[in-house]
Amino acid sequence: MISTKYTEKKKFNKQEIDRKWWEVGDYFRRNSLWLLMYCTGCCAIELPPSMTSAYDMERLGMGPMATPRQADILLVSGYLSLKTLRRLIYTYEQMSEPRYVVALGSCPINGGIYHDSHPVINQLDQYIPVDTYVAGCMPNPESVLNGFVDLMEGIKNKTANGWKKYHKNYDWYKKNQFDVLGEVVIDDEFHQ
Amino acid sequence: MILSIFIGISIALFGFVLQTSIGGINRKIIGRLQKRHGPRWYQEFIDIFKLLSKRSVSHGWIFDFGVIMALGGIIATAMFMPLTSTFLAFENYDNFFIFVYLLAVGMLGMAMSASGSGNPWASIGVMRALTTMLAYEVPFLIVVLTIVNLSGNSSLTEIMLYQQAAGNNIFLIALPLGGIVGFIALMGMLGKKPFETYIAPAEIASGPMVEYGGKQLGMLFILHEITIFIEVSLFVHLFLGGATNIFEFLFKYFIVYTVANLISNVNGRFKIDQVVKFFYKWPLLMAVTQAIIAIYFGWVI
Amino acid sequence: MNSISNLEAVDNIINSTGKVIKKEPISDFQVAYEVNKSDVHQILTSLKLEGWKQLSYLSAVDWPEENKFELVYILLNWDKPVYIQIRAKIDRENPSMNSIIPIFPGAKYYEREAHEFFGIAFPGNPDYKKQLIMEQWDDIPPLRKDFDPRAYSDRKYPSREYPDNFSKKDKENESLEKQAKRRKRARKLRTGGEE
Repeated sequence: MISTKYTEKKKFNKQEIDRKWWEVGDYFRRNSLWLLMYCTGCCAIELPPSMTSAYDMERLGMGPMATPRQADILLVSGYLSLKTLRRLIYTYEQMSEPRYVVALGSCPINGGIYHDSHPVINQLDQYIPVDTYVAGCMPNPESVLNGFVDLMEGIKNKTANGWKKYHKNYDWYKKNQFDVLGEVVIDDEFHQ
Repeated sequence: MILSIFIGISIALFGFVLQTSIGGINRKIIGRLQKRHGPRWYQEFIDIFKLLSKRSVSHGWIFDFGVIMALGGIIATAMFMPLTSTFLAFENYDNFFIFVYLLAVGMLGMAMSASGSGNPWASIGVMRALTTMLAYEVPFLIVVLTIVNLSGNSSLTEIMLYQQAAGNNIFLIALPLGGIVGFIALMGMLGKKPFETYIAPAEIASGPMVEYGGKQLGMLFILHEITIFIEVSLFVHLFLGGATNIFEFLFKYFIVYTVANLISNVNGRFKIDQVVKFFYKWPLLMAVTQAIIAIYFGWVI
Repeated sequence: MNSISNLEAVDNIINSTGKVIKKEPISDFQVAYEVNKSDVHQILTSLKLEGWKQLSYLSAVDWPEENKFELVYILLNWDKPVYIQIRAKIDRENPSMNSIIPIFPGAKYYEREAHEFFGIAFPGNPDYKKQLIMEQWDDIPPLRKDFDPRAYSDRKYPSREYPDNFSKKDKENESLEKQAKRRKRARKLRTGGEE
């Protein structure tokens, strides 16, 4: 039974209206994720089967994109050497927000089989925030797609907020990057 | 006057919605062609709204202004487009050459904005787009001038009425060589696969669009959809006899765009010099032959 | 013209130009010669004149027990099916080898790589000190045998700490007999009962 008592009409303040709009945006964002495939390592070989007719990534609204400005997801597929990490950070900072990072394979998690190698970093999330990890060496297409669905859930539940973390802890991330990469002085003939 | 402007803006909006839906349906068709499930039919809408919801980076005021100028130019062009032989916003302003001139505003705005980004890929892409335009315009204009000569008028509605009149075939049948040239030129205009040289995602990283992201890219997508609407409608009106009612128009539009898309998806990509050589060889020859046959000998089916 | 006569022809060329310390035929199509450091340039020149005009690779090997580095020049002939390796040992302390850029200009990048990974100096190569592969390396050259990549990795890259031991052992089925039994059963299932 509906109460007949007078209740004051609920008024939305500005933050709540912003939140509502943000949720509407989240619907569009999670249903149209464009990948920037930064094929650093061997896990990149799992992407062709997950894109083509066997697993068909496009039915989730995902697809490859050509440049970092257009993309939403930075897909790190495999191990990262120091030289690659520098370019990865450049790429990440070029992407337009909101941006998400998905790391494939066990190498970005703890180094994987390259845990004792001199040029390969052990943990990716020390340098840029990672939203979804897909473990496995290498993960098969089902788990890759499962990882993307996890990311969609994360966007829906507002847990995939790595780009906000990057803004908030910018100094910490920058310190880690400088510790491992050194100053931005590259002394070879391609940069002179 | 105000009613005309209102109708014109509605036509532009209708063109956007129509082309975006048909583009989505075509993505599904292409997916089925490749034995995939394919995306949802409204996927293109989601893509565009997502892009508009993202934050974007600016590269200076030319970069931002060029996009808005291009979008404005294209919407202004679409406002003049007749949908059927009787329904159009501005009476007597549907001359073919209005579209040729006004389309250039959009193209110029996009070229300016892309050059303003300072990325070398964008400059290469713009250069290639202009070269492709130079290549397909010559045979296309020869065919269109033949049509104008035959029908005695360059207004789109008059051309439509000429084709719909009793005893006249549509120009795709009346001028078979010219019809083929027109379709090949349409593929070049739409940037479909054999002539996709100026987009070329794997080669020059999507060409003019390389530095766009977020809102600017969203506006560029809207612009792209409306441009396709204008070009395909031009083909429908010039070669397929236009339409007497809106459903006929929708049907013809869908057929033309789907055929172009299907041809696109079984083809590779030309190099830029191959595009120019191709257009200046066979289509030009066919267009000139058709013009001579139709105008001097009067052999029209 | 078979490959044996090719190998003999190579013998003749090399013996006429320099002193061979050790010859080691690897297969019918590959042969390795160990020569003195000072003879390398002459031998490479005469081999290039005879048709081995492509330098496939310049590699280096570390021998810490002998306190030597070994440089390996691999040559390819497009007409005769013989690969030739010319090996030369150089000192491990302050290693240095004159550049072979005048003979094979393409060796520029191989020498830069060898300098980066082993610290060998190549006087005559104008920019052997520039970095080629690694950016801002801050330790001894990494492919030397006394370099410990694990210690370097542990020092430089923080490794993930796991609070729980996720790989808990199954105490009951841990004995070797039971493991062998399990393996046998699995093999039986796989092969369909055949041993």
